[in-house]
Amino acid sequence: MAGFLQQVVEGLGAGAIYASLALALVLIYQFTGIVNFAQGELAMFSTYIAWQCVAAGLPFWLALVLTLVVSFAGGMLIERVIIRPVEGAPELTLVIVTVGLFIFVNAAAGWIWTFLIKDFPNPFPGGVLEAGGIHVSISTLGVLGVVAVVMGLLYLLFRYTKIGLGMRAVATNPSSARLVGIRVGWMLALGWGLAATVGAVSGVLVAPVLFLEPNMMGGVLIYAFAAATLGGFDSPLGAVVGGLIVGVAETLAGAYIGVIGSDLKVGVPLVIIVVVLLLRPQGLFGRAVVERA
Amino acid sequence: MSTLEVEDLTAGYGDARVLHGIGLTVGEGEICAILGPNGAGKTTLLRALSGMIKARGRVRLGGTDLAGRSPDALARQGIAHVPEGRGTFMPLTVEENLRLGAFVRRGRDGVNADIERIHGYFPVLKDRMKQAAGSLSGGEQQMLAIGRALMSRPRLLLLDEPSLGLAPLVTRELFRIVQAINAEEQTTVVVVEQNAHLALGIAQQAHVLETGRIVLSGTAEQIRADEQVAQSYLGYRV
Repeated sequence: MAGFLQQVVEGLGAGAIYASLALALVLIYQFTGIVNFAQGELAMFSTYIAWQCVAAGLPFWLALVLTLVVSFAGGMLIERVIIRPVEGAPELTLVIVTVGLFIFVNAAAGWIWTFLIKDFPNPFPGGVLEAGGIHVSISTLGVLGVVAVVMGLLYLLFRYTKIGLGMRAVATNPSSARLVGIRVGWMLALGWGLAATVGAVSGVLVAPVLFLEPNMMGGVLIYAFAAATLGGFDSPLGAVVGGLIVGVAETLAGAYIGVIGSDLKVGVPLVIIVVVLLLRPQGLFGRAVVERA
Repeated sequence: MSTLEVEDLTAGYGDARVLHGIGLTVGEGEICAILGPNGAGKTTLLRALSGMIKARGRVRLGGTDLAGRSPDALARQGIAHVPEGRGTFMPLTVEENLRLGAFVRRGRDGVNADIERIHGYFPVLKDRMKQAAGSLSGGEQQMLAIGRALMSRPRLLLLDEPSLGLAPLVTRELFRIVQAINAEEQTTVVVVEQNAHLALGIAQQAHVLETGRIVLSGTAEQIRADEQVAQSYLGYRV
């Protein structure tokens, strides 16, 4: 039993990272209807910025703050410059644009920082806590804590601030939002900025575990897609719950299903995506869209 | 001064021109009814006035030229448009919908006082403040839409077919309230309506639109007395 719980805890730690990237995906999807394939690469790029700041001698937490600010501005800039011109274009166009962005950001990171892996400092102290035979590393707890804080801040923003209300209005009914005087374009840019910031958090959390290199987020993105699909692409809460479930499912499958082991673990999110799309396409927390034929 | 002056307004969708040189003036605090058959361009006229579609010509509100501005800029200038289909933010609560109406304003106190004021006009909304707007009935949603528009303290209120899909009794009540709002707040109102009877009942002046042109203008009494209008829209002969 303790062994099982141990696996669950490990899964939650991994899941929290998927959850944070899934949260970024969902934020953009809610506001713009775009599935941003470049989300992971943006997170990776942000992580390099953090690495560069630390390498330049800044203390970690200052580097992090700087990275989040730069990511926010960068996300807004990308919306204004790259996404704006294709706003309202067919889905295929949008997908191609974000895939293009994926390739561009990936190549740019490789060009600037090379493809050699880099050591990324772990912001949390080493050490392991023990309770009832279950060992939890402080860094796992730290990851869970950070994701909870990010989720909480987003909740406060959307629930209790005027700007958050405006953003939700844009997500539900853009033309009506315009009529009440909301600058919809800026809200969309703000959405991209927020998503890039949340993504940066996930990159910084994952880098100490995986080592920093330009393709670091590829696998994480697939897990994040599974998480967002499972939770519902239009539900931030769903993204987080979905991320945790995917993390736990992956760890348990790796540990207990012999065929899967640690090599085939990456297949788990794909199975989850397919099963959710077959049984409940809107996800656990998503709204089903019903349209009259 | 919130007089609405429209001159030589043309608008359409893509290459299809729908409005061909509309001109009208609505005095401050007046209600103006726009009548006409389906496809005459009534909704398009309101969309052009609120900036939802591109229009050419001159639109002045209280002397300020507003032509060519975006809908959000026009909302900040005091134009509140209750669009066809009501524009409700369905998943948000009734209260959030009302607060969104006041998005262009600053300060919380005034907003809370205005929510009270809207409750005065539409008591039914008061009990449903925490409910999702999408769960309201059609009539309640129309009241919410008008309430949302009033929250911006508009100088010009544009109403698109407020009677659409509502029971006759509800519609009559709604028009009574629109009249009361107009009387109390001196809001200039342009109302597009299929139900010519009701619209003429509250309006001071009216225009009949056909295929994008104004074919008849006058006071509400004059239009009501017009034989052709009577036959086409009121269902009886004078």
